[in-house]
This record gives sequence, C-alpha cells and structure tokens, in this order.
Amino acid sequence: MTRVYNWQLKREMEYKFQDIPPDKQVAWIFDTNKCIACQTCTIACKNAWTAGKGQEFMFWNNVESKPWGFYPLGWDVRLLEELGPQTWSGGKYTGKTIFEGAPYGEEILGYHPDEKDYSYPNLGEDEVNLQVKDGDYIKIPHQPWMFYLQRICNHCSHPACLAACPRKAIYKRKEDGIVLIDQDRCRGYQECVRACPYKKPMFRAYTGKSEKCISCYPAVEQGKQTQCVQNCIGKIRMFGYISNLKEPRQDNPIDYLVHIKKIALPLYPQFGTGPNVYYIPPIHVPEGFNRQLFGPGAGDAVEQYKKASEDEKLIGLLMLFGSTDDIIHSFRVEGDANDRYCAGYDDNGKELIRVPLKEPIIIREEYDAQRDVRRFSVT
Amino acid sequence: MSPAMETSAALTRGKITRRDFIKISSAAVAGLSMSKPVLSALNFIPQIDNPLDYYPERDWEKIYRDQFRYDSTVHFLCAPNDTHNCLLRGYVKNDIITRIGPSYGYGKAEDVYGNKASHRWDPRLCQKGLVMVRKIYGPRRVKYPMVREGFKKWIDDGFPRDEDGRMPEKYLKRGKESFLRVTFEEACEIVARSMENIATTYSEKKGEELLRKQDYDESMIETMHGAGTQTLKFRGGMPLLGATRIFGMNRFANSLALLDDRIRGAGEENAFGGRAFDSYSWHTDLPPGHPMTCGQQTIDFDLATVENAKMVICWGMNWIATKMPDGHWLTEARLKGTKVVTVACEYQSTSSKADSVIVVRPGSDPAFALGLAHVIIRDNLYDIDFVKGHTDLPLLVRMDTLKLLKPQDITKDYKPHELRNTQILKEGEKAPPNIKQDRQIVTEKLRNEWGDFVAWNQDTSKAEVVTRDDASTVKNFALEGEFTVDTIEGKKVTVRPVFDLMKEHVSYFTPEVVGDICRVNPAAVIDLAREIANYKSETLIPVGMGPNHFFNNDLKDRAIFLVCALTKNIGFHGGNIGSFAGNYRGAYFNGLPHYIDENPFDIELDSSNNSRIKNYSKKESAHYYNYGDRPLRVGNKLFTGQSHLPTPTKFFWFNNGNSILGNLKWHHDFVMNTLPRIECVVVNDWWWTASCEYADVVFAVDSWAELKFPDMTAAVTNPFLQIFPGTPLKRLHDTRGDIETFAGVGKALARVTGDSRFADYWKFVDEHKVEVYLQRIIDNSTALRGYNIEDLEARAKEGIPALLMTRTYPKIMGWEQSNENRPHYTKSGRMEFYRDEDEFLEHGENIPVHREPVDGTFHEPNVIVCGATGLIRPKGPEDYGLSRDDLSVEVRQVRNVVILPADLTKTVHPRRKDGFTLVYITPKYRHGAHTTPVDVDLMSLWFGPFGDVYRRDKRMPWVGEGYIDLNPEDAKELGIEDGDYVYIDADPEDRPFRGWQEKPQDYRIHRAMMRARYYLGIPKGIARSWFHMYVATYGSVEGHETNPDKLANNPRTDYQAMFRYGSHQSATRAWLRPTLMTESLVRKEYFGQVIGKGFAPDIHCTVGAPKESFVKASKAEQGGVEQPLWRPAQLGFRPGYENGAMKRFIKGEFLL
Repeated sequence: MTRVYNWQLKREMEYKFQDIPPDKQVAWIFDTNKCIACQTCTIACKNAWTAGKGQEFMFWNNVESKPWGFYPLGWDVRLLEELGPQTWSGGKYTGKTIFEGAPYGEEILGYHPDEKDYSYPNLGEDEVNLQVKDGDYIKIPHQPWMFYLQRICNHCSHPACLAACPRKAIYKRKEDGIVLIDQDRCRGYQECVRACPYKKPMFRAYTGKSEKCISCYPAVEQGKQTQCVQNCIGKIRMFGYISNLKEPRQDNPIDYLVHIKKIALPLYPQFGTGPNVYYIPPIHVPEGFNRQLFGPGAGDAVEQYKKASEDEKLIGLLMLFGSTDDIIHSFRVEGDANDRYCAGYDDNGKELIRVPLKEPIIIREEYDAQRDVRRFSVT
Repeated sequence: MSPAMETSAALTRGKITRRDFIKISSAAVAGLSMSKPVLSALNFIPQIDNPLDYYPERDWEKIYRDQFRYDSTVHFLCAPNDTHNCLLRGYVKNDIITRIGPSYGYGKAEDVYGNKASHRWDPRLCQKGLVMVRKIYGPRRVKYPMVREGFKKWIDDGFPRDEDGRMPEKYLKRGKESFLRVTFEEACEIVARSMENIATTYSEKKGEELLRKQDYDESMIETMHGAGTQTLKFRGGMPLLGATRIFGMNRFANSLALLDDRIRGAGEENAFGGRAFDSYSWHTDLPPGHPMTCGQQTIDFDLATVENAKMVICWGMNWIATKMPDGHWLTEARLKGTKVVTVACEYQSTSSKADSVIVVRPGSDPAFALGLAHVIIRDNLYDIDFVKGHTDLPLLVRMDTLKLLKPQDITKDYKPHELRNTQILKEGEKAPPNIKQDRQIVTEKLRNEWGDFVAWNQDTSKAEVVTRDDASTVKNFALEGEFTVDTIEGKKVTVRPVFDLMKEHVSYFTPEVVGDICRVNPAAVIDLAREIANYKSETLIPVGMGPNHFFNNDLKDRAIFLVCALTKNIGFHGGNIGSFAGNYRGAYFNGLPHYIDENPFDIELDSSNNSRIKNYSKKESAHYYNYGDRPLRVGNKLFTGQSHLPTPTKFFWFNNGNSILGNLKWHHDFVMNTLPRIECVVVNDWWWTASCEYADVVFAVDSWAELKFPDMTAAVTNPFLQIFPGTPLKRLHDTRGDIETFAGVGKALARVTGDSRFADYWKFVDEHKVEVYLQRIIDNSTALRGYNIEDLEARAKEGIPALLMTRTYPKIMGWEQSNENRPHYTKSGRMEFYRDEDEFLEHGENIPVHREPVDGTFHEPNVIVCGATGLIRPKGPEDYGLSRDDLSVEVRQVRNVVILPADLTKTVHPRRKDGFTLVYITPKYRHGAHTTPVDVDLMSLWFGPFGDVYRRDKRMPWVGEGYIDLNPEDAKELGIEDGDYVYIDADPEDRPFRGWQEKPQDYRIHRAMMRARYYLGIPKGIARSWFHMYVATYGSVEGHETNPDKLANNPRTDYQAMFRYGSHQSATRAWLRPTLMTESLVRKEYFGQVIGKGFAPDIHCTVGAPKESFVKASKAEQGGVEQPLWRPAQLGFRPGYENGAMKRFIKGEFLL
C-alpha cells in the first residue's frame, strides 16, 4: 500500500499502487435531471457487447430508480452498511475509504454478490421512498421522491478492481485511462467482482473470465462517443476527456462542468476509487440523500442547476448533449442576439456540430403560388 | 466420453494431467463451473509492475474491436403507434443486423423551402427499437402463410352452414388447433373465396333472413341495404403509419364495390364496398370533446414547442415515459425556466421532473377542470377579449328552451347572412379537391340549419346578430347578465350569455368541493388556476390518455378547453391545449382519397395521370364489434345514431393491429362470445401475437427491416415527414409486403370472379412501382406537395427525414384561429362550450357537467354531478323504461341521474358491498408501444420488477410477466404480500366474459392471475397494471400446464404469453356513450376543409373507456418458491419489508 492524492476527497489516501495518471482520462457527464429511465443506453450496450452465451444476466450499463432500485440487488446499501456511516468535514472526506476500511487480512472492503442478486434488473423502477396519499401537493424538495441513477463502469483513477486482481490482469490504458480486464490473462478469481464498489465487473461462467464495461474503446479510438452516450435519447450524457484538476480548460465540456462550475459530481466518492463519471444531482431530491451519493457539493450543484437560465454558457453546453456521435473536445456559445447557438469542436478545433439554444419558430406562407397549394395547419 | 464428462472426471481427480489437457478442448474447459482455474500452470506471468502505468500485452484487445466492426449500415423506419417514427441505423455484418443505433440525420431534415430542423432533434430512437434486433431475427416470426386446420377443413368441405347460416361449431375451434403452412397464392385464394362466399351468403333478402335468425340487431341488418359486402370488415392499424401498406386496407375495402356489383348487379351508382373500421376513436385516443369544442379532431402541438411555454401542465400525460424521444424537450425547457407541473393519480415518472406534483383521483378530471374555471372566473382572471372574440361565451341562450337564441326567433323573415370566410355548396355542387380548397366548406342545407347567432351588445343595449364571419372579432358583447327579448310570436323570453351559465355552473365547484370530489388539495386548485391565468398564451396543457380513457372523457375536454379559452391558451407556440396518444392524423396526407378511394370502376393505370375518387366503403366504429357486434340499445331506446350504425361482422381482415383482437378491451369476452360469430379472420403480422392465435388465415409479412416497397408516414407530435425506405436485406422467411397481400388477394378475386379490375387496382404493386401511388398522394396533399418520392426515399436511406409543410414549425393546431382570426370548424366559427343539440340536452350535457366514471370509481358510476340543476334537463331512466335504482353495467351507460357536487362522495359504487375496493387503471408504459416489443425476451426482462432471464421460479410464464401495482396498505388489508400471485376480478356480471359462471374450463383460461408489486407511488384504493402485455390463450395455458419447464408457450404455435392465466383485459370491457353517437354534432370531415355533421370515424364516434374497472384482488399463490416471500422482499429490500440498512439509506444516514 502507498499514499495517493484523491482530489475528490481533498486528501491523501491509501492505495495499492503509485499514482501514475494516464496521458488523457475518459470521463462522462450524466445529468440525472434529464434521464427518463428508458434503458436505451442499457440495450445499446447489451446489443453491442453482452449478447453472447453466459452474458444473459449482464448489463454493463443499467439505470436504476433510487431508492428502491439496484443492479445487482442492494449493491450500494450493502457496501454502505459494511463501511458504516462516514463523515465529510467541509469539502474534505474525514471518513474511511474502502481501502482504509478493509477488515483485517483484506486489502479492500467489499463483498461478493450471489448469482441470484443479478435477477430482477429493473427492481424498484419508478418507486418512491414513502407512501403517496390522496391530496398530495408536492413541491421541491419532493416528499415523496424518486430519481433515476445511470451506471456504467467509472473507469476510476484508483480502481478497486485493478488493485484487487492477484494476477494484475486489469490495467488502465495510458492513452486514455480506460480500465480493462485482460480477457486472455484473467483466470476468473473474481476478486475484482468482490472489490469493485460499483459492482461493474461481472463473471462469465461460459468463458471463465470476468468482463466489464470497456468504454467502447473501439468507438473511442475512432473519435466516437460510447454506445450509451450515442443512444441516449434523454440527451443526458456527454463523453469526453477530463483534464487534471490543476489545469482545467474553460472550453472543455467535462472540465467546465466538473472543475469550474462544480455542477457535476462523482458517485459515492467516499469509496475512494476516484470514479470518472460525473453526475448532475437531481434537483428535486432532498439534500441529505444527494449528499450520501454525491458528497458535500450536492447542495451547491443543485442551486446552480436551478439558476441555469441565468448562465448562457451552461445552457449552451447542456443543449449540446446528444447532438452528435463525435467526441467533442471543446465548445463555445456564439451568434448574434436572435440566433445564439452552441458549437462543438474536435481536437483540431474544427467545428463538428452546432445547435441553437432555442429551436427557431418558422411560419410558412399560407399560399405557395408556384406550387398552387395552401399550407394549412388543419388539413 | 464427451469433453464435458472428461472435464468433470479430471476435476473429480483434483488435478489435470497432460493427457487430460490434450483431451479437453478449451470450450469444454470454459463450460466448467466457476471456481477452478485449470491452466494457470501453463502460462508465463509477464512482468507487470504497476498496471496504472504500463501493461505489456494488449493484443487481446482485438476481440472487442472485431466484435464492434461492421460491413455496412442500412436505415429503416420504426413506427409502432407511439407517434415518433424513428429512422434507425442497422449495423450489418455478414448480412445480419447485429446492432441498431440512431441515424443522427434529424438535424439534416429540410423542406422544399430550405427550412431546416436542428441537431437538437438528435438522437431519435428508443430501447424498444434497439430490442428489435431480437425480434427481426427472433423465433416467433411468422415464417410463412398459414391457415388454421379447422378453417381449411371448412373451405375444403365447401363452406357448409347450419340452418341459420352459421358456420358449424366443429370448424370454430380457434386458439385450440394447429396451423397448416400454405403457399402465398393458396392463402390469397382461400381469402378471396371466403370473401366471395360470405358476401354472397349475406346478400339480399335471404341474407337478411339468416342474419335475423342469428339474432343481429334489426338496425344493423337494415344498415346493410342488402349488400353482403358490408359484412366484410377491414382495418389497417392506425393507418397514418403506412400511407399505402396500412391505409391500403381501406383501398381494398373500396375495391369490393366490384364484388357487390357482381353478386347483386348493384351497378356503379349503388354498389357497396367492404366496411373499414376506425382507428383514433377505436383506441379511445380521440378526445371526443375536442370536435365538440373546436369542430375538428384534436387541437394539439408538436412537443418540441414546450420550450416556448412558461408553464407546462402534464395532465394525466406521462410525457417522459410515453413520448420518450421528445422527453429532452421537456427537461431542456425546464432547465431554461419553464415550470413543469404534473396532474395525475400517482407520483408518475414525469413527476420526478416536475416543480409541482398534484395528485388527483383518476377519472375526476372534469371536476378538477371546472374547479380551475371556478377560480379563474371568480377572481376575474380571464382574458376578456379572447373570450369575446374566439368563444361562444357571449352568445345568448333561451332559458325557456335551453336552445341558442337564433335571429329568426326574434326577427321576422330572417335570412341567414352571406358568408365570406366559408364556401357554400349549392345542392348538387361538389366540393373542390382538397388540394384546391381555400376556405372551410359547407353545403347550403347545413349552413341554413345552423343559421346565425345572437349576442347582447352592451353599447347599444340590444341583441345583435353574430355570424361565422365574426369569429375572432371582438365586440362589446355582454358576458354576464339576464336579458329579455321578444320573439316573433310575441312572447317575452329570458336570455343569458353562455358565459353567464358557465359562471353559475362552475360556482358549485369551489376548491373545497373539488378537493372532496377529486381527492385533491384545494390549495393546488387555486394555485394552478392563478398560474395558468398568469401565463396567458404561455401555458401548454398536454392532456394524456389517463383522463381520456374514462367514460367522461368528452366532458373533461370541454372543461379543460374552457380553462384554456378563458386564459387565451389556445393556438400559440407557448400556450395551447393538447391531447396525446397515438399517431392519428391521416389528414396530414389529405391527398389520400386518390389512393384509398380510387374509383374501382374507373382505374387509372397511367402513372402520369391522377386517379379519380369515388368512395364505396362505409366506415364504422370497431367499438360495436368489441361490444358484442351490436349497437347501444338499452331499455326502450336505440342510442346509436343512424349514421353510426354498424353492420354484422362476418369477415375481418386487419394488419398492424394486435390491439383489435389480441389486446382488445374485454378480449376474453370477445373470444368467447363474439369471435365465434365471425366466419373468417385474416391477420397480417410479422410476429406471432394473440391475434394470430385466434385467426383463420395468417399472412406472413416483412419486418420493418425487410421492407421491399417504400411507404410513408408523418407524426402528430413532431414535424417530420418520414419515408419507410426499401432495404437491401434479404428476407429471412417466406414473407411478403403488406401491400403485396392486398394485390395477391385482388388477383385471386380476379380469378374467382373473372373480373380483372380486382387485379388492375393493384397493378403498380405488381410492377414494383408503388412510388406511383405515393407520388399521387404527395401531389394531392397540401402538406406534401412539392416533394418527390424518389428523392425522399434516397434521403431516408441515408437516415434523413423531411419536414411536413403545414403553416408552422413546430406544428400548432389552432394557430390560424388564434393568430390570423380564422374560424374554428364549428357552426359559429368559435370554440363552443354550449351544446344545444337535442341529444346533448337529453343527456344533461348541454353544459360541460361532471360525470363520474362508469366503472372505475368508488362512487355512483356515471352519475351527473351538477349544482346548477336549472340549466340541465336530462331524461331520466324512467324515460327509457328503466328503473332509477338499476345500476347494472349496461344500464349505467345511459343513466341520467343528477347529484349535487357536495353530495357526490357520499354515494357508493354498487359493488363495494361485494368486496370490490380498487379502481384499476391500465395505462401506457415506457417498455411497451402497444404490444409490439413486449414479449421479446430482452424487453420482457425489463418489463417491470419481475424479470429473471434464468426463470429460477418456474411458475413464471416467461422471463418477465404481467403484474399489478398495489398500494401496500390495500395489499396488507387483503393479506397480499409483495411478489405474491393474485387474482384480479372485475364486475362478475360480465367479466372476464359474459356467461363465465357456466363455463368453468374457459373461466380458468380467462381469469386474471398476475404478480403483485407493493407500490408506494399510488394512493389508497388505486391499482394499476400496464396495458401492453401478451394475454394468456388456450394454447399458452396448455403450455404452462404441460411443458416440462412450465413456459406459458403454446406447443403448437410457439405463442409466448406474459400471463399464466387471463390478462389485464380480464377486467376491462367496451363501453358506449350516447352523446358520442349523435346525428347532429357539427364537425370537419376527415380529409380537407368540408364541414358536415353526425358520424365521422375518428372524429365524432363512440370511443371506449379503456382505463375503467373496479376490481377485487385476492391472493392466489405465495411469491416465493420455498419461502413465502419472493427473494428481494425476504432480504429486506422492498417497501414494507425494509431491513435496517435500507431504512437508513433512504434517509441518507450513511453520510453525515
């Protein structure tokens, strides 16, 4: 064990390996406020990667309703219970991570799901935390409440899976920070399945190996966003590369939302793995629950989002989500007063896409003399 | 020894020898159970220091790159009846689509003027479209044409009939027999011969006699006018979804005028074609109060306009669950400042996106709307000018007759005014073709029936004539007060403006009273009313099928329209009413008559010419078929208007519509009591549904990825014109295009009758030139003219749609009326809240009263709730020869009994005393689009909480199953645990089917059994199942009880049910409503600008009440297999069973 700096926790922590950050780090933004729980992301991933024998139960991407949804069953509640209640002090995590909270004889605190825990992937869908009653008139913060939590492998900066593998068969790619389980060298010990706090490595009996989300690297290598992002019709997701905390770029979509606006937060940062999927927390959910999931920045993030209409740059960026399957490296809000748009650029600065902040309204002429036709609304 | 056995043997020995290793293939090794690594001794461990830093051997990464690689892409259109129509991109490898993705082409869509959509529209698709990969290549594809054994025997035996003409029972074992494979030509021949035989049998006097013996209502027999072809029914399911291949069913029906001519020598002038069923009204998607208020089908809007609103009220409309590709418009609007409100009977999924969530009792929506109107009027929050100009609220009503005051009442020899904004057709004059129309059009006869109207001018203190031309003109007309006029007979009559009546009417619906009736917070009523009034022209109210699927749906429309009209929220990009369901507006292609009504006696075979129109095919609502193939006759009265009357259904051919049989309301009664009266059922499908289970002939058709003939569609919720491109993928099975089946049967009819016109009618199909039909439709449609079909198809192949060219983008119905002062399609040209037609007066609905639901209520069903009792004069049950105390299911539909609003909640549903406690609703869900994707394994797995891909509980009918959501307090009272199997029973009078008491064997099949989920999101007394699921059939129950693995799968047909027994439709039934079957309601015709009256399919037509049921739930079996509880409850992760950690988790206590 050695000490590494975890910027999400604002402190050093224990980790198995020395911190050698990749040249680039893939990252995602998920705006929970826009998710519609359609599972299009889930099926897109499934069709591409886990439609084979032995993978029937596998969903590398899933969307679960909180608080009653889980895949696998109770994954976060069980770990939180094992870790016990923990504390933040201001922005600094004063509790234990899964590395620090490991029981005697273990390096990482974790548990191994039962096969049956992968049944009922859509358990808890849409279910609220407490009973709805006649005459309920609910305002923000909602009671009762529920929201949708989208999950993929977080391609963590300090992955538990990578630390847990006795054969070091899990590695992080230098060029982009994608974490992969070597399908040749894996021997199916399932230590990664046990260690990952998010339960994203999954064992495939048919091959005797564990598999997990691969950040669609074959697409990423072609400059395309991951399957779950490309297919998200809620347009809640963006994929890109996050810069180091010390050098965030104003025009990098991920940096802007994570490091500068701090409106997108990691999930369960207290586990200590430095996950690289950043969530805009649900604005209607009570702050206590949001803090439990997203840390002490949750309240602020919610306030920012509620006031988003005052921030044209933020609005512009959020309108850009989903508009293209190309990876957007930088963005800018431009245009004159009546025609504001947000443009996304590739890593050479070439424009890939642009979207208006507001879709224009078009009124056609009623009578088209050339074609001798009247363009009525009611036909 | 097999490799697997070798391996087991080796493991038992506890080690692997070199000899073992050579024998065991790596595949066999892979099949081992998990915990024994076998080959570790044989590989080097490379030197890896820090896997965060460096990893030596990455060649293995090629596995996933190879998996991702594809050879080519192909675009095809996905269009179940969800209204979105998404162009999907298939990634093809070795000629197989291995995965599907978005086309990203929506931002490239353009119209002929160069207007473009933006990439904010992209991506468009959904999980159901992606799952389609497993349906196209799935095992339950209809693989070849099939004929039911018993039906084939009937044909081969020469169509024998009993004395009363009926098909002998031995041939009628539908759902219990095998199907025989036949060639496509054989299938066509069988269908053609059946049609001919049936039409002949039931033609003329002898045919009428037989129908009489078979106990059809006399009115239906009269309506046939002796033409047996009128017993042949056709339906293309929501026909806008395919202008030529689905609407083609209507064209086919039209061609049967040739058959009638042949059988009866009827001649070109008097022949009758087959009948076509409705769609929008069939699904109860039609909000019937819209035509009553504005004269045309529906006022609605493209959902993308929501960002133009300051507030959007999702009223019984679960936007993000049912309009998913447009969900982002809602969430983006909210991000940018639009307030989102949900009004629903639960905390819906959309509620999680809302600023304000208002919970109401389902079916109480008219009262809720009247409550909003109350506050708006009471507090003077309405827009006076808009009200005076655009509504009938200033028009005067005679308090003696309750009829509108007409100028001829008070002015001798009054002549109706000349109208500028309306074209009047003289007797015998025909309307110009739709493409040439420039105004609303009406016959002189009808215009004179309407006459003109009168309002009280406050400047002159005199009654003043108001005509259609004054629609939108604001004058100082009185809205309140009582005035006196002298009739030409010398009588003094009190008159009041419609507004004055409305004010009196809504005065009884105070927030407190509404709070009681609707189980809603009175503060919510006040707040919402004030906000709507605050955001004039900036409040959008999309109303959904929650409220619309109740019996009082038209009343809810009229009341919500009132709220919108009072606050100037009609016809603007930021302010409008809407109703959202299926993809109904065939009228977008108002050139369609040139295709569906082409004159079969005068067929245009030259592709460069236009065709001539002559309609021979009458339309009727399928609700009569659903209701038992009879009209609404209760007591001493026939309530179905003449123009609505159905004919007996003896033959039925449908495509793209499992909902008309397989997922019918009252499906189980239909199968038992109505289906046996139909002699031939022909179904086109590409997937084996319950409709196929009960069919006689099944045509195997192409999946959407295999279409060989292009087709066309548009949408009511988005502005795109979509082409179904032909695809280069090979057909997987012995299938044909839907349009080929019409042509095939046409050819067979030509052979059977000797009349080549039956075949000529489809000539361009044979020549693979359906573009001719499509271009004819385009050239003659006002929103399409200017496009070229070849260009459109070429763009569609690249994943790029076009734009529909109505006046505005996004589309806004009511736009011209509110922004350019055009008239609405009503008599007065204004939005009308007062209905003085006789039928409305008879049923107490001249004003928009509240009525309770007809079954789904805790209180007296269908009772009229009105405080202003002097304003209504309904006929009571005694007038129809019925007892006032008769609350039986049939009588309820016509029962006019009045209760004061403050007294409603003291009344009780008649079944409460029998232990029925739950209002059971069956709404739409995100993991279904009707029944299209639901039984596909991957979709079933996500269809609710009970999906298990390994089916560890062998009682499960499939890898997912139907279930009911119960409020946990209700469930506990009934002794039901989360995860239990329960029976759901509705009124025993007629559900699951009439006569169930005498048929225990059938009852077992049709009685609903499903899982129960504890669901905190619904208030007490409300229960819910999604409506999409595959019902149990005879074959599926047989499979469930005899298959070794207990799969509810028909061993003969492979049909896969999602219920062990019965279905959600065991609790529903057809309901008919008198005020939807009038002869007098004025409305626009389906296509074009002509205005008529009486029956019009999908416009003025009976609908059903699909959400309604009042049920009893009882435990059938425990949820667990060995344990009483199912596993998630047992482990404490379910509401009502939460373990300690769950409790702390919900409260956020793991982080301090």
